[in-house]
Amino acid sequence: MLKEVGRELDAWMIDQSVAAVAAGLPRMRPCVIRVLGQSALFEAHLPLRLAATRDVDVRADYDDAVRREFERLLLARGRELEPLGHEIWMPRETRYTDLLHGKLVRLMVAEPEAVLVSKALKAPAKNAPLLTEYLALGPSARFFELAKKYAVPLEQFA
Amino acid sequence: MTFRSALAARARKRLAGIRRRAQDPRFLRVMGRFVHEKLLVVNFEVPLHGEPIRLADVLWAGEVEPRLLELLPALLVRRPSLFSDRGALPPDLASAVAALQQDREPESFRGIAGQDVHRWLGRLGRKGKVPARLKSFRFTPEDQRLLAHLAKELGVSETDVVRRGLRALV
Repeated sequence: MLKEVGRELDAWMIDQSVAAVAAGLPRMRPCVIRVLGQSALFEAHLPLRLAATRDVDVRADYDDAVRREFERLLLARGRELEPLGHEIWMPRETRYTDLLHGKLVRLMVAEPEAVLVSKALKAPAKNAPLLTEYLALGPSARFFELAKKYAVPLEQFA
Repeated sequence: MTFRSALAARARKRLAGIRRRAQDPRFLRVMGRFVHEKLLVVNFEVPLHGEPIRLADVLWAGEVEPRLLELLPALLVRRPSLFSDRGALPPDLASAVAALQQDREPESFRGIAGQDVHRWLGRLGRKGKVPARLKSFRFTPEDQRLLAHLAKELGVSETDVVRRGLRALV
């Protein structure tokens, strides 16, 4: 779903840029959108049973016009851009992988291990069943590495 | 047994209980209703359910999927018709609902942070029904001219100009 939104946003930005250049205005600035939270987990296709509210958390460096178009595209799919999504705490070492590398839009997704560590540390009650499931399925070494660094008390989920 | 394998073994035991509850008709009914109403998105099969649901079932299902609890107080304020029974609420839920009715951030509700519970108040139900408050500011004539000019140019109200300006500063 997010990839499709990213593609449409990229196409819209290209159109806007072409129109801006024709009008003698500066072209649109490329942007990077980093997807965080539950939406990033959905994109990771882990064997976890996931439920999410309709908000999408991102950290992005786009202009306001691009944000509004992104918001509109999400709304058309029944999702909402979380206005405070950029405030989500993520480990400093979080790696992001490309979901889409368009001409003007680069859509990246936070690695699931970092997302889960963030959830375990900042909202343990809300994510307890999810973390129990992840721990039961055998977490990756990367998850343990991040959990150790940020002193996540994993025992509470098992 | 290493720490990791012991942790995994304990988690598997706990997960078995969670999965058993996730197969319960009460859980499926509640999830089916929330998904049907587009309040939640899931990556697993849930039979959609369009009928009102029992409050007690939501509280029970919320132990398996806490996001149900995050939405519940705001739903009781904004979408009470989702529930077949809205009589006596448990004290913690009644307190969260009372706070939302006054547009206040409640105490954490069953482990969900008050701000997470509060943020749904403005997003559920009819758009534009978020309680807005009157605030007064003193503007110089130049500020007023600028405000009026921007409102005209952007085709929005003067209040919206201020709102956009605030968001631009975030």
